[in-house]
Amino acid sequence: MDIDFSYFFTRRRLLQAAAGVASTTLLTARASELDERELKAAHGRAGLAGPDAPWTTVWAYDGTVPGPTLRVQQGRPLRITVENGLDEDTTTHWHGIRLPNAMDGVPGLTQKPIKPGENFVYEFTPPDAGTFWYHPHADSLVQLGRGLAGALIVEEAEPIVVDRDLLWLLQDWRLTDDKQLAPRFGSAMDAAMSGRVGNVVTVNGTVPVDQLVKAGERVRLRLVNACLARMVALRFEGHRPVIVAIDGQPCDPHEPEDGRLMLAPAMRIDIVLDMQGDPGSRHAVTDDFYDGLAYTLTTLAYDSASPLRAHPLDAPLGLPRNPLPQPDLASAERQEIVLQGGMMGGGKLAGVGGMMGMATPGMNGGAAWAINGMSMTGDGHAGMAPQFTLKRGTTCHLTMRNETAWWHPMHVHGFSLLVLARNGSPVPNRQWQDTVLLAPKDTIECAFVADNPGDWMLHCHVADHQMAGLMTVFRVT
Amino acid sequence: MKLTYRLAALATLIATPLPAFAATINAVMYKNPQCSCCESYANYLEHNGFKVDIKPVNNLSQISSDAGVPADLEGCHTLMVDGYVVDGLVPVDIVKKLLAERPPITGIALAGMPSGAPGMGGEKSGPFVVYAFTKDGKAPAVYATD
Repeated sequence: MDIDFSYFFTRRRLLQAAAGVASTTLLTARASELDERELKAAHGRAGLAGPDAPWTTVWAYDGTVPGPTLRVQQGRPLRITVENGLDEDTTTHWHGIRLPNAMDGVPGLTQKPIKPGENFVYEFTPPDAGTFWYHPHADSLVQLGRGLAGALIVEEAEPIVVDRDLLWLLQDWRLTDDKQLAPRFGSAMDAAMSGRVGNVVTVNGTVPVDQLVKAGERVRLRLVNACLARMVALRFEGHRPVIVAIDGQPCDPHEPEDGRLMLAPAMRIDIVLDMQGDPGSRHAVTDDFYDGLAYTLTTLAYDSASPLRAHPLDAPLGLPRNPLPQPDLASAERQEIVLQGGMMGGGKLAGVGGMMGMATPGMNGGAAWAINGMSMTGDGHAGMAPQFTLKRGTTCHLTMRNETAWWHPMHVHGFSLLVLARNGSPVPNRQWQDTVLLAPKDTIECAFVADNPGDWMLHCHVADHQMAGLMTVFRVT
Repeated sequence: MKLTYRLAALATLIATPLPAFAATINAVMYKNPQCSCCESYANYLEHNGFKVDIKPVNNLSQISSDAGVPADLEGCHTLMVDGYVVDGLVPVDIVKKLLAERPPITGIALAGMPSGAPGMGGEKSGPFVVYAFTKDGKAPAVYATD
């Protein structure tokens, strides 16, 4: 197992050079001290639709939508006590964090669900710096859809130089005319098509107003898609965003193809934006993912002050790499998962729900989707048989093939995957992801080192798809 | 001005072939932006005297629910035509029967996307049962079979 330690050496060298050994020791002491946090999931209300609109009844962590942004330090032990103030079981999944299996938050599979009025203590030490998030993994469609989600930012010891570090956590809501959540979570049609996409998108909990920016500043913008089902494709009019990390993991800094940032549910992208617009100018940020349904998400509004600096900041954009184990492709064990089902699925699920031809799958709470012919529905439960088993330390070369007519962001718990190829073409920029988006009919190849024992989930993060069968489990012994 | 307008209207009326003028039925189709079978159905309607305005929406199940379509009859698109809701791949003769008879119902639906239905392709494996539904909570009743 080969680990990329260059970051640690650089950090130590720089610290010694800049501050001397004494303060290095001080920092180490502080960084090893336990960081204790608390979160409570409970009913609440939120002003999603703006200050003049009615409150929306939601479920929230600590009474806010999204939940509080947890900023923690890489390598520092963390203890988070989650209290359940809901009327039903819950758990918390620390999405993208490589942690012990028992802390992964999957009910039945990795822990007993947290009953109403009870709590659970999650303890782990985040090994990777980056943009992550947390959300329930019990009754996922409803709990996430009612607002339970928050950002978990693991700070680098030495971040890149920017003027501001911003977060946009996107949530999508299906609201009625009186601004309440539309009933009927889990409609069969949503389950078998694109999921419960809503009609109101919020950024950090409210319908976005202008984003005030300064000419000449450099911003690190952490984008988190915490939507149930809505895919997002962002364009920053008049700007050239540079992707520096995907799903929390640093990549080679690069501009997205065609200037369009594809952010599927559960994905995160960190970008660096040099605000090179004129003072007083305005630039739309649009989302044009769905044909015929493009809209302006928000607007970058420059203040009238003269630019902070004459030229863009001349500082490197590359983030320090995280200590991910490097896959050994030559000795890799190959596994394949095939995604099947859904509307227009050509009857691939004929044996699952008794479905014939292209009849509606997912009716009456049945499965609408399958992985390798098997539909695991719901949120996770005890006794889920693993699709495959890997011996600890093995490199797994995983092929994911989407036979369906729909998009699926496939999320692997407990690991980050090195994305090797999409439809036979190599994927550049050394991208590691925990949530890999497959377009209809896409084939993705990726690799990871199975260095963490346990039963781990692999599922589509369109919540309706997961609930209706697009989920599997693999085991690392 | 007024006279010119009237003359123009009259000319249009005379110049338009009467059958086409009488037969064009305007409809609005709400559909998932990523589903293609609905477009084949719209095309089928257009070949049978309809003018279909296609509106892609992301919250189709909310729209069809608000329109009164029972959850277990929901199709992958919802058509609004002449005061009625037509959900799913209902054969055109049944839609025309509805518009001619004008019964006191909210709309009609063909559940699922059965093989052989218009816009769907494939072999028909049994009769299509089209249900009538209302918004007053009564159970749907069979409106027509094909």
